[in-house]
Amino acid sequence: MSYLHINGIRKVFGDVVATDHVELEIAQGEFMTFLGPSGSGKSTTLYIVAGFQDPTAGDIRLRGQSILNIPSHKRNIGMVFQRYTLFPHLSVAENVAFPLRVRRMNRAEIDDKVRRALALVRLDGLGERMPAKMSGGQQQRVALARALVYDPPVLLMDEPLSALDKKLREEIQHEIRRIHQETGVTILYVTHDQEEALRLSDRIAVFNQGKIEQVGTGPQLYASPATRFVADFVGDSAFLSGQVQDMTGTGATLRFADGTMLRDLPLHGAGRPGGAADLMLRPERIDLTPGRGREGASLPVTVEDVTFLGNSSTISARTPWGEVLAVRLTFGHPLLGQVRRGDRLTVQWQAQDAHAFARD
Amino acid sequence: MLSFLMPARRGSGLGMALPALVLLLAFFVVPVTLLLTRSVTEPQPGLQNYETLLGSATYLRVFGNTFLVSGTVTLVTALIAFPVAWLLAITTPRLAGILFGIILLSMWTNLLARTYAWMVLLQQTGLINRMLMAVGVIDQPLQLTNNLIGVTIGMVYIMLPFMILPLYGVIRKIDPAILQAAALCGASKGQALRRVLLPLAAPGIASGALMVFVMSLGYFVTPALLGGTSNMMLAELIVQQVQSLVNWGMGAAAAFILLVVTLILYALQLRLFAGRGV
Amino acid sequence: MLMNFDKLGTWRWVLAGIAVLMALFLLLPIVFIVALSFGDSRWLIFPPPGWTMRWYHELFADPRWLQSAWTSARIAVVVMVLSVILGLLASFALVRGQFRGRAVLRAFFLTPMILPVVIIAVALYAFFLRIGLNGTFTGFVAAHLIVALPFSIIAITGALKTFDPAIEDAAILCGAHPWEARARVTLPAISHGVFSAAIFSFLISWDEVVLAIFMASPTLQTLPVRVWTTLRQDLTPVIAAASTLLVLLTVVLMIVAALIRKGKSR
Ligand SMILES: Nc1ncnc2c1ncn2[C@@H]1O[C@H](COP(=O)(O)OP(=O)(O)O)[C@@H](O)[C@H]1O
Ligand SMILES: [Mg+2]
Repeated sequence: MSYLHINGIRKVFGDVVATDHVELEIAQGEFMTFLGPSGSGKSTTLYIVAGFQDPTAGDIRLRGQSILNIPSHKRNIGMVFQRYTLFPHLSVAENVAFPLRVRRMNRAEIDDKVRRALALVRLDGLGERMPAKMSGGQQQRVALARALVYDPPVLLMDEPLSALDKKLREEIQHEIRRIHQETGVTILYVTHDQEEALRLSDRIAVFNQGKIEQVGTGPQLYASPATRFVADFVGDSAFLSGQVQDMTGTGATLRFADGTMLRDLPLHGAGRPGGAADLMLRPERIDLTPGRGREGASLPVTVEDVTFLGNSSTISARTPWGEVLAVRLTFGHPLLGQVRRGDRLTVQWQAQDAHAFARD
Repeated sequence: MLSFLMPARRGSGLGMALPALVLLLAFFVVPVTLLLTRSVTEPQPGLQNYETLLGSATYLRVFGNTFLVSGTVTLVTALIAFPVAWLLAITTPRLAGILFGIILLSMWTNLLARTYAWMVLLQQTGLINRMLMAVGVIDQPLQLTNNLIGVTIGMVYIMLPFMILPLYGVIRKIDPAILQAAALCGASKGQALRRVLLPLAAPGIASGALMVFVMSLGYFVTPALLGGTSNMMLAELIVQQVQSLVNWGMGAAAAFILLVVTLILYALQLRLFAGRGV
Repeated sequence: MLMNFDKLGTWRWVLAGIAVLMALFLLLPIVFIVALSFGDSRWLIFPPPGWTMRWYHELFADPRWLQSAWTSARIAVVVMVLSVILGLLASFALVRGQFRGRAVLRAFFLTPMILPVVIIAVALYAFFLRIGLNGTFTGFVAAHLIVALPFSIIAITGALKTFDPAIEDAAILCGAHPWEARARVTLPAISHGVFSAAIFSFLISWDEVVLAIFMASPTLQTLPVRVWTTLRQDLTPVIAAASTLLVLLTVVLMIVAALIRKGKSR
């Protein structure tokens, strides 16, 4: 039995379907991230868990019990919002104490818990500050302390770092990981930033147009994306467009514009002979060689452009039929610094790194 | 039981507007509607009240007085308010603070207290007349109260803040760089004022002017105290008809005309300045 | 150039001159009244031959002045309380509501502020004559509430618009009942708007003349009504004394309002 079960949630606003059959089972202590572009239904799902919105259909179960009929203020769930939501008229310590006050705890217990919560987010000694006098990063830490101080079974975080600059964001990502490890709280985290998702999460649910496209660990999503959308959204990728020639038990054969054929490609989606399909290759999972390349897993290319990026180079390579894909050469590669515009070389890859996606 | 007062999280929130809505319906919409219907039902059904109001010289003079005073007050306040608002927008915060303090003090001082002061100041033996005579501008005291001059002075005093504040709001938002650019383009100060600053401030001037004009049209207290019985304005006419003559039909008809003019000008203001936050 | 005071050249003096003249014009009646109230000329000669407290003694010796001030205060306090409560509820509906026609409703709530008071006064007078509310405390309160409410709504919606509803959501998730969240989080955060609404509402009722003239009865008169009826008879310096006290009250309330604004930007 899962700890938190998001069971077939569907939410409709007028004629907009915000989420559709969202199904997820989350284990206790898991760090689960909703990753997807803006408008894909991540926040809506979170708000339904929080009780700010009622689903059109579906159920939310915590430890096997439906929580849909419990009003928000009795769900005992913690949440950190995208915008700064500290109570402006209360000091930092009073903000963190607020959930304990409304639970009518006694003074001594409140003081103790507030102190520990502020220590957890490394803001010891700043309890008397007013929110307006704090930076955005500090405010979100206080919000985190406030959401954790009453030991909620689930912590929701809706793009809590999106208003911060990159450096600060990475710093607080570290803090969040540490706090997750220290407290063992179950976290539902929303972001549209794939790096953030990969850095933080145990598992990631990729959202697209209100539906979950794939759920898995970061490495799983990266190595074997189930859909073209996931392949595109998680990690860098190039897509070469071809046509399904035939399909066998070992995979599909794709034919490209100049007649080039590639065989035994794992094909995702409902492909049929004659239908369009794309070959996905990741820049860092392909190699460049002056020789003939691996049989059935290589293509002759012409170098279009070379961009030097310090410890690596990105090379734009043109296929015989005119499409362009990127190849990344990391430090130590024999060809690094040797490649020139116009060179004729070969790209090659490992069979498991090539994926074909049928177009619908 | 009090569910109509519940926070709007799940409901529409309309319930919370209900108490105010009921109050306004009971004590505003119903009474005003009842009053206005009397204009066509008393003393007999028909439009004769409007015919009398718009057809006789006596009443037309009241309308004339009302528009004359309102127009003059609007013009004079605009002429004073523009330089003052301009200065407020560019001077030091300290000086602006003092000026604002004075403006707000005069605005919030009891209306009757202010009008009383003008009644005393403007009377025949009052300070103004005696100062003018002492300086030698006049040798006979001027008649400054019980006529439209007194009304105009008293109303300019009252309306000034309502012209300065919106004008200040608009001028303050003008980017100084635009006027620097005008200067670099070769515009003299006079040209920059005429061709750049005034056009940019125009929405504020128009908004303030409409507001002052509308407020002046229906003003009662100052005309009643500083004006004479021979030079009535519209609000005085309404009160006179209802209170002294107990002629509800005529009073209601005059009220209806005032209401229509006010609402038309208000709608104009909304249309002209919708979305400008003026 | 025109937006930089130091670069205005001679125009500086024109602007400054006009501003000084206007300031004198605005201050003249107020200063004049205060001086007049201490002058010992019954005929309001200025400058007066000597100084006296006589008008204040006369003012406080006449129980009708105190009585009408007390009536004014009672009405103004009730109007203030009701105006803030109704204004708060209406503002939540206008700012947070999810229903159609909110803009229309807002315009409707503000119309009593736009219409000439004299129309409302005459209409209410006729209506109250019919339903027997004329000359009653309730009638007074209802009339003043109508004209005070728009100002209350403007002040409170202004504050509420700048308050992020997500903060209230946060309080609810922290375990506060929606009403508790409003009372303990939203209300304190918009308190400056609520205080402004209270001060506006109080002053509007306290100073209101036109409605009051129609609502008053011989036994129920507010201070402005007493000033009005006295003024129509003669310009006695007692009115100057009463007016001076009113100016004093205004100054005090303005200072309170300024302090509240300061406290908000703390
Ligand atoms: N209260 C609402 N009313 C109407 N439509 C909404 C509402 N909330 C969200 N939506 C719509 O639902 C979709 C999903 O929104 P959301 O869950 O906020 O996406 P995300 O958080 O992934 O950016 C969007 O198309 C959005 O416009
Ligand atoms: Mg979102």
